[in-house]
Amino acid sequence: MSTQQQSSGLSKKGLGAGTVGLIGAIVIGISCIAPAYTMTAALGGTTSVVGLQVPAIILVGFIPMLLVAFGYRELNNVMSDSGTSFTWATRAFGPYIGWMAGWGLIAATILVLSNLAGIAVDFLFLLISQITGAPDIAGIATNPFVNVVTCLAFMFAATWVSYRDMQTTQKIQYVLVGFQVVVLVLFAIAALVHVANGTAYDATPIELSWFNPFAVESFSSFAAGLSLSIFIFWGWDVTLTMNEETKGAKTPGRAATITVGVIVVLYLLLAVALTSFAGVGTGEFGLGNEEIQDNVFFHLAGPILGPLAVLVSIAVLSSSAASLQSTFVSPARTLLAMGHYGALPERFAQVHPRFFTPGFATIVASVAASAFYAVMRFVSENVLWDTITALGMMICFYYGITAFSAVWYFRTQWFRSVRNVFFQLLFPLVGGVVLAVLFVTTIIDSMAPEYGSGSNIGGVGLVFILGVTVIGLGFVIMIVQRVVRPAFFRGETITVGKSDGREDAAVELAE
Amino acid sequence: MRFIVGYTDTPAGKDALALGVRLARARGARLEIVLVLASESRATLVPAAPSYDRHVRELAESWLAGAAARVPDGVDADTHVVYAESLAEGLLDTSKRLEGSMIVVGGASNGLRHRYTIGSVPRALLHSAVVPVALAPRGIRKLETSGITRVTCAIGRRPGADRLLDAAVAAASSARVPLRLLSLVAVDLPADASDEALAAAEEHATTVLDYATRHLPEGIDADVVIASGSRVQDAVASVSWDPEEVVFVGSSRLAASGHLFLGTTAAKMLRELPVPMIVVPRDSVITIEG
Repeated sequence: MSTQQQSSGLSKKGLGAGTVGLIGAIVIGISCIAPAYTMTAALGGTTSVVGLQVPAIILVGFIPMLLVAFGYRELNNVMSDSGTSFTWATRAFGPYIGWMAGWGLIAATILVLSNLAGIAVDFLFLLISQITGAPDIAGIATNPFVNVVTCLAFMFAATWVSYRDMQTTQKIQYVLVGFQVVVLVLFAIAALVHVANGTAYDATPIELSWFNPFAVESFSSFAAGLSLSIFIFWGWDVTLTMNEETKGAKTPGRAATITVGVIVVLYLLLAVALTSFAGVGTGEFGLGNEEIQDNVFFHLAGPILGPLAVLVSIAVLSSSAASLQSTFVSPARTLLAMGHYGALPERFAQVHPRFFTPGFATIVASVAASAFYAVMRFVSENVLWDTITALGMMICFYYGITAFSAVWYFRTQWFRSVRNVFFQLLFPLVGGVVLAVLFVTTIIDSMAPEYGSGSNIGGVGLVFILGVTVIGLGFVIMIVQRVVRPAFFRGETITVGKSDGREDAAVELAE
Repeated sequence: MRFIVGYTDTPAGKDALALGVRLARARGARLEIVLVLASESRATLVPAAPSYDRHVRELAESWLAGAAARVPDGVDADTHVVYAESLAEGLLDTSKRLEGSMIVVGGASNGLRHRYTIGSVPRALLHSAVVPVALAPRGIRKLETSGITRVTCAIGRRPGADRLLDAAVAAASSARVPLRLLSLVAVDLPADASDEALAAAEEHATTVLDYATRHLPEGIDADVVIASGSRVQDAVASVSWDPEEVVFVGSSRLAASGHLFLGTTAAKMLRELPVPMIVVPRDSVITIEG
């Protein structure tokens, strides 16, 4: 007779309390946000829409993110599931909205993956040129063929690492994140020193009005700026949801608070220093210059740091690499959950028997991001810039749905306590409304051909076409799935429900 | 006696399980089927997702249940999910904790390029295991057999040879199958070896056969074959093999010449031989008494 018993005594499940620890959680949080990458990608664009008020937008942009993150955490506490937004929205609003929320998350992460790899390509060539002392090499990145091939190589490497679940040691991770923060601070201080010495490119005196969101000229500019600043805080929510593995301590809240404190200070410092150094004009190094907008550090590191500019290249490269890896798991896990619940073909639910990663989903996400980047590189005049703008739109879309899911799902619990009034009703509701308004405003504004980088097809802004195509494509695939795999859409795998205030067992990814 | 099977839900894992079952049945051992998951406490760039980890854990348990269902009646088996930094580490830890007498894994590498080379997991095991490691050749799960018919021991004069012989004798005794000694002394020699060298090989063969005969119980036969040829590949090809036998070879972490000679031999034999190989470490704790 063969006996089949589980020897539970042998299994070490989960992290012991405090294994990640406060420092570890902060490091993971900063690593996911990747400040060096996000700032170089978003600063120029944000300046071009809101002018000098970038610091104000950074501060205001954090608010909807925080409000939605509270709703996210509430949902995560009762329905911890790999599908996150997809699963929660399905549970709250049913299969169709849930499907589109999942699609929004996947689309947003695929967009950011392609942008990350694109930024990394620029900095790779810059780094090589800085090391070899041959300035022409940095220009190679503008050749679309070289660019696409290098980008695909980066993608392949990142996919390989994710697929095989290779990890760095904690020490390396600490060093990389520490290095990134130190270099950014150094970069900002050097810029301010130039301003003080009168050697800045376009010295602009720092004013209090930079921090005043009401000084932004129009609501459209405000909305555009806001959706960009939502992008720069995207990823922060992971520190809020790391509660399960740091249980027994107050660490998660503290880790999230410290992480966001570090990030906000860093962003404000960089925004103020670089604006003060370069101004918002459209001159050679002005932050308003379209030529440098998509990758500000790439152009400003040399004038500000001189020979030390190489440090910025290394910081952005390592930050992009770390972020590529942490971002990869998100679409892969959502695809896996969608496969598991029958919202997508079953293959997506496959877990690699040797590496224990969502292997098929990872490869699909990678191929989609690579193909997207390759096409965009040739279609768009400014691929990085347009992807970031479209990304802001997609984040508003799926985060908005997530926030409303929290509000609706907890509808019977709202007034059970004062805490619930805020965390399950007011915070996510306000956050969701802000994101919804941003989404609609961006959609309407982006129709104009001059929106974003000014790329357009037939007089319609490329960002609009991108956003509508991505959402439209999701809709079409959803209808196809509805026909091919109706079980999920009949509510057979996830039923619509509402919270009873306890942990929700109706959606357990593994049943 | 417990045999630790390093299981994954892959062809290599099923090969390991099939070999584990045959060895356990032949020697009356109990199987501990182990699936090693990546330790969640390791450093990671990716934020931990408890829900995903739970999903993987439950999948692992269902894979193990499938494995246990494949174990035939008459063989006792337990399943374990363990967390470790690496597969090899997880197997070694479990083996230590459960006092395993042998670790069974799929021998071949999974990679396309390394189709016929020894895999990274068995290699890592061979470097630190103190118990014999059985390497299941690719495709052995398809073999229609239930036990082992013979134990062959490929033996030279390298350090650790005594332990190796002891392990083979113990295996043949408990499985009650004939023992064949394959002297590799002639192979260890340079290609232009003289008659003296050959005579030395004969003498070595007689010595080991003597030793084996003395230690084998009544009714268990032993014979000796001198492998010839200048390379291990030729030596292996020069003798006949039975698909249902197992081969004991030695592995030495500190071979006389400063490199893993017998480890290399094992790798070469694995490439040539369609039969399972059991690599006995030089400082194996398994002795003829144990």
